[in-house]
Amino acid sequence: MSDDRERRKAERAERREKERASTTNDRREEESNQEENKLVGEIDELKITFNMTIDKLAKDIKRQDKIMSRADKRQRKEYDELQDRLVEVTALQESQKKLMDSFIELIAGAIDAKSKYTGGHCIRVPELSMMLVKEASNSDEEPFKEFKLESEDELRELNIASLLHDCGKVTTPEYIVDKATKLETIYNRIHEVRTRFEVIHRDLTIEALEKKLAGEDVSTVDAWLEVEHKKLVEEYEILAIANVGGEYMKDESKEKIREIASRTWVRNFDDTLGLAHEEKQRVLLEKSETPAVEQLLSDKKRHIIEREYFDYEEYERFGFKTKVPENLYDLGELTNICISAGTLTYEDRFKIQEHVVMSIKMLEQLPFPENLKNVPLYAGSHHETLIGTGYPRQLSAEDMSIPARVMAIADVFEALTASDRPYKEPKTLSASVKILSFMAKDKHLDPDLFKLFLSSGIYKEYAKDRLKPEQIDEVDISQYL
Amino acid sequence: MENLNFEATKYTPEIKLDATSGIISLVGKSYPENTFEFYKPMMEWLENYFEENAQDVTTVNMEIIYFNSSSSKLFFDFFDLLDEAKDDNTIKINWIYDEENESAEEAGEDFVEDFEDLDIELVTK
Repeated sequence: MSDDRERRKAERAERREKERASTTNDRREEESNQEENKLVGEIDELKITFNMTIDKLAKDIKRQDKIMSRADKRQRKEYDELQDRLVEVTALQESQKKLMDSFIELIAGAIDAKSKYTGGHCIRVPELSMMLVKEASNSDEEPFKEFKLESEDELRELNIASLLHDCGKVTTPEYIVDKATKLETIYNRIHEVRTRFEVIHRDLTIEALEKKLAGEDVSTVDAWLEVEHKKLVEEYEILAIANVGGEYMKDESKEKIREIASRTWVRNFDDTLGLAHEEKQRVLLEKSETPAVEQLLSDKKRHIIEREYFDYEEYERFGFKTKVPENLYDLGELTNICISAGTLTYEDRFKIQEHVVMSIKMLEQLPFPENLKNVPLYAGSHHETLIGTGYPRQLSAEDMSIPARVMAIADVFEALTASDRPYKEPKTLSASVKILSFMAKDKHLDPDLFKLFLSSGIYKEYAKDRLKPEQIDEVDISQYL
Repeated sequence: MENLNFEATKYTPEIKLDATSGIISLVGKSYPENTFEFYKPMMEWLENYFEENAQDVTTVNMEIIYFNSSSSKLFFDFFDLLDEAKDDNTIKINWIYDEENESAEEAGEDFVEDFEDLDIELVTK
């Protein structure tokens, strides 16, 4: 019995043990399962996060690609536009440059057209300037070895300066620029003077008739009249010749003129009638009762035209040194007919020289870009010399750049050789070169440039183009080199 | 919440962030030297705004006439931010451009394509 019990007990125990063991196993299994599930869950979560990150990365890369390709496309477009714009701007610049050049030529042409005195001067001076400056720039000889003026801008600068060098002449009264005889104002007053001679001539005739009426011997009176008339005609001829101003007037000639001028005639008419306000004011300065005894030629107050306004301060500021005459003009008949050389009074001469002052003032006003900034300087120095005797700034050698010196030579040579000036016969090539040589010797023109002008053959080349065949003669340049 | 305003400069747009009206506007050019640095205050303001201060309706008006590529990138981030906020907020976006401004038009199309769930309207001037 007890054995059975023991056995059963043992069996139970075994069973319980088994059961227990089995439960533990189950539990363990369960636990392990749970852990596995958790891991899987975590992995899944990780997967999701990973996938999301990958997605986001992929999206970012896609965006990045998009941004890049858009940026590239835009860049290309912008660059294309920039290129197009550049082409447009360049074309615009070119057309504006052309417009400016044409405008400058138009001004130069207008100055030339305004006065017969200048003819084609403003158009031809640039040709000479360009020829000479290129030669100087190409020269490897001293003193031009270091001098280079080659860029398009530099050449254009000088060309423009040459075209505009006389632009101030638009302000110079034509009758001064064109003053071809001494008595000329707006017209040649020799006609007025001749009429006075006619009056005196008739007065003499009348005087002779009166003498005869008074019973004087007819033949004696006739002889007297003949002598007086002849004398009068001769005196007029002397005066008329003086008026042309062809040659230097010596002191004794001036004395003779004064003697002739002291002849008198009787004016019976009021000389203040028929005048415009301004002239009337001047004539009224010395109104006289008629009949009035007048000198054949005289200097009167009415002949002085006063300088109304002049900005001396500005004149100084610009560095102009030429002395300014007190009066604007002196139309005095005696003063004018007694001009020693040429046809211009001191006042006239200044008025002419003032054209450079005006050129400079006008050109300085223009907003030239950096690459053309020397235009006023070059244009304004064409009447300067190397020794301070020029105008209007009385510059000396160190102030005169080579382009400015080139322009000075071009200016003189064109003026000498021109065949389109009504007041003078065109000079021959050799005579023109000779005058140039004097000016070079006197340092009025640059001697080295003058030599280059000859040795390079520019004088000949220009002559072929611009001079009349009859002007072109042989020039022995060896004497000048 | 304070409003935030930036005046336009040569390189950056005028930015007006108005918490009271809920109107956000960017007008002008955008090519700052340091794009992300420049827009940082704006992005921070927006995060703050959508977290707790958003109006019922938020309107975004963007009229960017010229922008560099880092600005494009920033605008994507900006739209990402709006995209996250859209579930809790009503957001209306106007991408305004001149019809001749092809770059602005294309950028607008990119945003529409990338953010299907955002209410982006392309508005030509």
